[in-house]
Amino acid sequence: MIDNITYDRSVQGHRRVERRLAARVRAVAEAYALLAPSLVGFLLFLVAPIFGVAALSLFDWNLMGAPSFVGLDNYRELAADPEVWRAVLNTIYYVVLNIPAQTVLALLLALALNRRIRGGKVLRVVFVLPWMAMPVALGIIWSWVFDPRYGVVNQALGMVGIDGPNWLTDPAWAMPVIASVNVWQYTGYTMLILLAGLQAIPHTLYEAAAIDGTTPMQRFFMITLPLLRPSLFFVLVTNTIGSFQIFDTVFVMTQGGPGGATDVLNFHIYQQGFQLFRSGYASALAMVLFALILLVTAAQFLYFRKRTVYDFS
Amino acid sequence: MSRKIAVSAVAAAALLSLAACGGGDGSDSTGGAVTLRYAMWDEVQKPPIEQSIREFEKAHPTIKVQIELNNWNDYWSKLQTQLAGRSAPDVFWDHVSYFPKFSKEGVLTDLAPLIAQDKVDTSIYDAKLAEGWKVDGKVYGLPKDWDTIGLFYSTKALKEAGLTPADLDGLTWNPADGGTFVKALQKLTVDENGKHADEPGFDPKKVKQYGLAMQAPTGQQDWWNFALQNGCTLQDKPWGRWTIDQPACVQAIQFVQDLRLKYHVAVPATVTNPPNGPSLDQVVGRGEAAAAMDGSWMLRAFDTALPGGGFGVADLPAGPIGKGSVYNGLTEAVYAGTKHPKEAWELLKWLTSERHQKAVAQAGAVWPGIPSLNDVFADAWKAKGVDVTGFKKAAEGTTMGYPLTEAADVYNVKALDIFNQVWLGQLSPQNAAQKITTEANAAIK
Repeated sequence: MIDNITYDRSVQGHRRVERRLAARVRAVAEAYALLAPSLVGFLLFLVAPIFGVAALSLFDWNLMGAPSFVGLDNYRELAADPEVWRAVLNTIYYVVLNIPAQTVLALLLALALNRRIRGGKVLRVVFVLPWMAMPVALGIIWSWVFDPRYGVVNQALGMVGIDGPNWLTDPAWAMPVIASVNVWQYTGYTMLILLAGLQAIPHTLYEAAAIDGTTPMQRFFMITLPLLRPSLFFVLVTNTIGSFQIFDTVFVMTQGGPGGATDVLNFHIYQQGFQLFRSGYASALAMVLFALILLVTAAQFLYFRKRTVYDFS
Repeated sequence: MSRKIAVSAVAAAALLSLAACGGGDGSDSTGGAVTLRYAMWDEVQKPPIEQSIREFEKAHPTIKVQIELNNWNDYWSKLQTQLAGRSAPDVFWDHVSYFPKFSKEGVLTDLAPLIAQDKVDTSIYDAKLAEGWKVDGKVYGLPKDWDTIGLFYSTKALKEAGLTPADLDGLTWNPADGGTFVKALQKLTVDENGKHADEPGFDPKKVKQYGLAMQAPTGQQDWWNFALQNGCTLQDKPWGRWTIDQPACVQAIQFVQDLRLKYHVAVPATVTNPPNGPSLDQVVGRGEAAAAMDGSWMLRAFDTALPGGGFGVADLPAGPIGKGSVYNGLTEAVYAGTKHPKEAWELLKWLTSERHQKAVAQAGAVWPGIPSLNDVFADAWKAKGVDVTGFKKAAEGTTMGYPLTEAADVYNVKALDIFNQVWLGQLSPQNAAQKITTEANAAIK
């Protein structure tokens, strides 16, 4: 802020500077006053718990007795725990199943709905509906849909002579089912953001490109995709963070099973913390998840920063 | 997704901080009246208990009781989190597998001085039940009830198979060929073409009705009973090490798997596996199974699913060692951190009184913790045409209590996952037994 202030040797100049400074201070104070409510919430409910968890990860505490300081023991234990590594791999597997499918699907939907088609607005709402519904309720309904004996999916497969698998109890299928439920649920939301991004791209660019004789494919790759990067960046970052934190669908549909096939990090943290009451160990695991997300998000930032254009004018 | 996570994170943090402040526990006094929170996990028992509590409230106009119901799986997570947040319910159901931890952590009120002060006669309780909750002269709970496991059957299914209730008496099983128990279940298992499991041409892939349904998050209602009947004790001694990898235990686990996968007489695990499977009264009520192994606390549920004499109860079969059932009892406990110790003690006295337990027994909810009321319970069911005395005979015969261990949390969490896989055929009984033994023993210090 100070850099922008030009110093003037004249008295008048000094006064001008003072006035401008005072105005600046007022503006900053105003901004902080307006930010205060959410900032307090942010510090109290997000930043403070993060430090709390970091501290707790150095203790052994069953939530009831007195916590005992164990230094880095929890981290040593988790590094040697095959279940933790399985949970990390399961989480990454889920993210890999979820993010590309969800993003590509959402982009295709957004492109389709970006044209003036009949019922476009209705469809937009329909696609966003799953995102508005409660994940836990959805999880229960999807459990019925994928029920091996009475579920709609296997009944339908049975009609065409296919003996459907035991979706949620088959280690090979459980994770893809969880991922597809979440793709179904969050694609609408992603589509909405991308659609907004598409609508922000000036039409003149397409018109100019059309005059230059480009094909629609060229226009997509040379105009749409580069100019959609801010939106893509946003959905990729936020969805990836969200995917690493997958919990509710797993909790409702599989409880981490069968045989740990859907035991993702967040569920493992819950199990250690609130079923086995090893809150120190669970906190250490939470720090691992935090670090993992931080790493991936940082990589995404680095990749997109150089390649993103925000100003279309 | 991120927003939802953020919102739930904020909500969770808010809850935690509230709990940490000791606020938000809902037991504030309003206008001189005190609201007590009473936590339980069985919705089948809730209506008659609630009714009796209304009587209590009438007698104590300054006390209101709010029942907090959570299913078995969530109950312990929630209760222990609330205990940590110092905002636990004032009075709650306690279970023997969590009792050691609770008594050690000092979260239960010692009732001994209160009993002495009010001269409560504790000789009315079953000594076997009451003793287990005393530590060094301290009393951490008074008996609420007791339970054993029985074979619930649909009278209609039995009739259709040409069997009488008497045919279910004296059944035996063995690890080699399943014995007469499996033969009876084969008669009760029918495929879509009307073929029974003991007939040629039976199609195990298209079964309309299975002979048996089983479901047990820990083993209490299924394989522990077969284990006991086969000479397996689960542990080398109370508070000792787990010995589930012993042959007698592995055979029992194998038998439960065989009932599903070898004999095709039990409802597949894809349907019944907890925690998502429907409760067994539903499975039998819908006609998917002719019978189910379940606890005596489920009687009212079966009566709802199969009303008007639609079900009966038979004894569990006998195994190579003989008959036997898991026997267990709950207590009512008072939270040590309650803000209303006097009122909570009043409520506990009511819940463990003859009057309350008689009302609950009359409603057929659960066998009472006061033995002199056992006949009230049996008569209530006799009036409905159901003979429940088998549960009592089972309790007087060979029984096995819940394993006493400090590794209850680990056993419960691991057993759920491991045995679900065994029943699906994804893990062999031998490997499962070794796995659960190793993991549960590792949690014993």
